[in-house]
Amino acid sequence: MGKGFIILSFLLIANLGFSQIKPNERLVYAASYNMSGLMTHIAQVTMQTETVKTTKKSYLHLSWEAATFSKWDSFFKIRDLYESYVEPNTLKPSLYKRSTFEGGFTIAEKYIFSPDNKTISSCVKVNKRPETKKIFSVGSGSQDIISMIYKLRTFDLSVLKPGQSKLFVIVFDQKEYSVSVKMLGREKVSAGNLGKKDCFKMSISANTNKLKGTDKNLIWLTSDTKRIPVLVRFSIPVGTGQLVLSTASGI
Amino acid sequence: MKKTLIYFASFFAVLGVVFTILPLGTIALLPVVIALILAFLSFNFSELKRKKISGVILLISALTLLVIVGKEIFVKDVVILDKQFEQKKIESKKEDIKDLEGL
Repeated sequence: MGKGFIILSFLLIANLGFSQIKPNERLVYAASYNMSGLMTHIAQVTMQTETVKTTKKSYLHLSWEAATFSKWDSFFKIRDLYESYVEPNTLKPSLYKRSTFEGGFTIAEKYIFSPDNKTISSCVKVNKRPETKKIFSVGSGSQDIISMIYKLRTFDLSVLKPGQSKLFVIVFDQKEYSVSVKMLGREKVSAGNLGKKDCFKMSISANTNKLKGTDKNLIWLTSDTKRIPVLVRFSIPVGTGQLVLSTASGI
Repeated sequence: MKKTLIYFASFFAVLGVVFTILPLGTIALLPVVIALILAFLSFNFSELKRKKISGVILLISALTLLVIVGKEIFVKDVVILDKQFEQKKIESKKEDIKDLEGL
């Protein structure tokens, strides 16, 4: 899977003021990877939201979790957890965390956004190497990858004509990336327990070599106000794959 | 030629069995189908002595095919409850709240 897969999965899902992201939403996906021309189920991906309260304020906790199906655990175990704590209305991030375990390779990352969103204090630990700390500047509109995905869902995508794009800036691996989400049109897609849904088909591209091809990284978001990501197709340097929505609850 | 067919059929049959044991899902169909075709051809073109070997390969490939289809139909993809991972999530959340309190 790797970084490209993660970036794509996230990038493929994110916008402003159209739909409100609610707490206790749970979306479960089956992740498949193309092996010798056949899609093989390898992992379950869960996206969920919940309210977290501190003594001062309330946050919306957005999380993305990937875990390999048990049959794969002995061969290549994946336990990835990406989290973002955001302001519930604006989805502005305060804290972003990433903890990945992929076949023995680990990364633990923590970004604390300054209140003005202009700097990030980061802590990164890769495998057993010493932890590195860094404070770096970012544009005030920069977001972590998780909150960006959810923000995309809040956009009124119906105003976009085929070929028109929305631009985002995300912070990943202590770097800023421009991400473009292009409207391709509408399609009916099977959406797990939601049945067949009318969806916006969108193409994701970013200034990184982790995503391959033109219009090969795609996301289908339901065209209703909920903007549920129902299907994601990705193309990364090591292959292609997809995320298919199995169940959606609390929407 | 007939010997080559049997060698290749055996190779793909073994590969099919290995792929079936590994969690490769329907990918295992590829070597098994090739083994079936090669074993079938060698069975038809071989003399009686070699027909036996081809027949065995054909049988193994057919059984492997059944196992693959059976696994696809009856074995569900599940994620086991990973207590260590769950515990890590709980601890991480406590730490996160501390960080958020400090903002």
